[in-house]
Amino acid sequence: MSTARRTSLIILAAVIILFLVSWFAKFSAVQNTGAPFGISVRDGFYITLAAFCSLAIFSFLYKDNPYYKFAEHLFVGISAAYWMCVGFWSTFVGNFIPKVSRTLSDFFEVPFKSFDIFYFIPLILGILLLLRLSNKYGWLSRWSLAFIVGTTAGLNLIRYLRSDFISQVSNTFVPLVVDWKGIDAFFSDFSLAANGQFIMILGNWVVFIGVFCGLVYFFFSKEHKGFFGTASRVGVWVLMITFGASFGYTVMGRVSLLVGRLTFLFGDWLGLID
Amino acid sequence: MKEILMVFLALLLAGGISSAGAQESAPPPDTGTLVVTPAPAPPAPVTNLNAKDKPNDHGAGVVVTWPPSADDVVGSTKVFGYAILRAATPEGPFLERGRVPIGEGVFEDQGSLDEVSPDYMADHVDYYYKVRVISPDTTVYADSEIIGPVQSSGQWFNTNKVPVLIFVLCFTTLAIFFINHARRGANLFIRPLAGIEAVDEAIGRATEMGRPILYVLGLGTASEIATIASFTILGRVSKKVAEYQTGLIVPCYDPIVMTVAQETVKASYLDAGRPDAYNDDMVYFVTQSQFAYVAAVNGTMLRELPATNIYMGKFFAESLILAETGALAGSIQIAGTDEVAQIPFFVVACDYTLIGEELYAASAYLGREPVLLGSLKAQDYAKAAIMILAVVGFLAANFGWVDFVNLFNVPSN
Amino acid sequence: MKRQIPLALVFFFGVLMIIQYFVPHEASEWTFEFLMDWIYIIGIFALALGIWSLVKVSWDKIRLRRENWQYAIVTLLGLVAMICFGFDYFRNVFNAAGLQNFMFRHFFDYIMIPIQSTMFSLLAFFIASASYRAFRARSLLASLLLLAALIVMIRFNPYFGPLTAYLEQTASWLLNVPNLAAKRAIVIGVGLGMVATALKVILGIERAYLGKD
Repeated sequence: MSTARRTSLIILAAVIILFLVSWFAKFSAVQNTGAPFGISVRDGFYITLAAFCSLAIFSFLYKDNPYYKFAEHLFVGISAAYWMCVGFWSTFVGNFIPKVSRTLSDFFEVPFKSFDIFYFIPLILGILLLLRLSNKYGWLSRWSLAFIVGTTAGLNLIRYLRSDFISQVSNTFVPLVVDWKGIDAFFSDFSLAANGQFIMILGNWVVFIGVFCGLVYFFFSKEHKGFFGTASRVGVWVLMITFGASFGYTVMGRVSLLVGRLTFLFGDWLGLID
Repeated sequence: MKEILMVFLALLLAGGISSAGAQESAPPPDTGTLVVTPAPAPPAPVTNLNAKDKPNDHGAGVVVTWPPSADDVVGSTKVFGYAILRAATPEGPFLERGRVPIGEGVFEDQGSLDEVSPDYMADHVDYYYKVRVISPDTTVYADSEIIGPVQSSGQWFNTNKVPVLIFVLCFTTLAIFFINHARRGANLFIRPLAGIEAVDEAIGRATEMGRPILYVLGLGTASEIATIASFTILGRVSKKVAEYQTGLIVPCYDPIVMTVAQETVKASYLDAGRPDAYNDDMVYFVTQSQFAYVAAVNGTMLRELPATNIYMGKFFAESLILAETGALAGSIQIAGTDEVAQIPFFVVACDYTLIGEELYAASAYLGREPVLLGSLKAQDYAKAAIMILAVVGFLAANFGWVDFVNLFNVPSN
Repeated sequence: MKRQIPLALVFFFGVLMIIQYFVPHEASEWTFEFLMDWIYIIGIFALALGIWSLVKVSWDKIRLRRENWQYAIVTLLGLVAMICFGFDYFRNVFNAAGLQNFMFRHFFDYIMIPIQSTMFSLLAFFIASASYRAFRARSLLASLLLLAALIVMIRFNPYFGPLTAYLEQTASWLLNVPNLAAKRAIVIGVGLGMVATALKVILGIERAYLGKD
């Protein structure tokens, strides 16, 4: 037996022993709270399983290993089936069956609403989609695809025109001078606070120039030379500041996710945190 | 009879005066005498009431307007508010539909079109309205004249959305003009996009190293615009991959995306003259769970060790996980997304990033087809129009051209 | 026929959805709700296609003994077990109570959720490694990125004494002003790109999603 294989077997044995030790320890801890024997065994097993799944994923940070592969493949299989079950019960049985068949509604124990012949159209389109698996009739699946793509293209065209285009353009109409109180007041008020006159005027100018130069950067039909090039460069600077600020803003949020997981491991599993 | 009445009134008056005097010292004894205080005067009723069908709605809506009551003045104690009442006939019964405070002179009576709803309000049915001026004493009020019949109905065009219609028509005209212009052979310039120029180089690198290319279409559905743009790029990439005989791995998050991606890649292999090299397993479904998908793609990156990772489409929190794992695997990474929140992570972690609109321009840039170039030109002209509009709007905001600014205030639904 | 009908369908439903936005009438709302319902229902059939693909790939891996074929068994076992619990197979009851099945909920709570949360928490490590790799002042642009990120990251740090208030205000200004400007420019560009692409799809110019005959 090679060294690598021997090492893997030793690690596997250690993992199994640790799992059993943890299970027993959690089972005892749960039983000490007064829970019945069966419940204690079950809960002890599940908490240990959850902790080992978490550690298996964390092991990815070291390198790809059999424990990560196991957790990954298990997660893929379980999650695919989970969404299939949820989709079947909530959409197909909850939304479709009550509108097409009283018999099936009774079978699945959902209240029958009313017969609506139009709901046979998505049924037909769905079946056409499944014909994708056939070499001879696979082209029929394009009809279902065309319906979905066409409907959402029309919806998105209007939605994004209104929200990403018209609304954004109108929000760029900002006043050049905010709450002008006179030159003396302006020079006496350099406060960085949000309502400082200087900062509000500066802010409006930066927003306007930033949007203008950003749009110049995204101009594809012209070489970025001369005035255009200068404006484009200013646009890139503003973009870089934005990306840096957004990155910095998310850091603490991401670290808090880790804190949550560590709380589970050290608290619920190991019992080191109250 | 008259004398008895006079004596009664005299007694009443005497009783009133003596009780007024007695109040200052002690409460009056209960002598059984009836004391009638004059009722407070009701507030002035509303006049010139107006009711009409609510415009630009789906029906079951009537707008009632009225000028304020004569007693609705600052500091008035006679008016508490207004109640709006509705009935199916002028004789009633009138039911209250809502109340508004003093100072307001408009009420939208919005019902439901659902027949089983308790708030059901049928269209094309006569309704009659009146407005009641309420005083602080709820028993004292004044009703307006009854107005009606007025009928609610749904409209077939929302006039508030005319600006959106104008933009749609203008943009469509611009796009069609430039597409036709391009079709007639006009030479349309596009500035170089570093991320897209790197794709060819990246595919060549993968071929030299004998390692596959990983193409991730993102977590969007087949109907997302970013995913549709990604299909076009996938088509170009897979054609090159077929020509160079490099491996291609396309793990999919959405089953419909998988279907379309399979069609796209198969067509590209056919175009490249290598239909035999195509295998349906190149493009496969993983799962519709975000992090399960990421776990699987991470595993693929570390096991298959692709030379190039291309991320094009809609990404969310998993963008950094994918990009960092790809960097760990030593792959060249090219990313493109329209999700503004994820662009910083791709910029930091990937070698090349297509920012926002560049993703949509990429398909035109790669294929150089006149139609696609024409539509990109239309986008640029629309951007130029926006810049001009922004300058005009900027001036409008400063010089108080309210009408121009209000043109862009479009309802959300 | 194979391409004309799908293109006609795309055009018809695309234009219908555009018209629907401008028509406030009840019939328009009814049309919108119907079409959205239809998309969700067709999505379930698409999911069946996806599951088929996953099963096929896993089975081929096992059958042909490809690398890591043993883990494909784990995928299939997990899939089958979860489907049995979700459809309450073992109790022979075919109703939505399958979603409340004891084992279904436990698999969700003690396998899916921990793994999902742990994957999410990996971001903490990856953001640190990305920062380490990227935050080098190699050029003006990289320096701007670094400076902006640093100011925003340390804005709540109390160890800078009197500078803390200024850092906080500067970070707040960075997040509310240049950040807003650049994002607006990106969003306007994205909006235009989306509108143009949607228009190309509806007019049949963009047809990569249909494949080839």
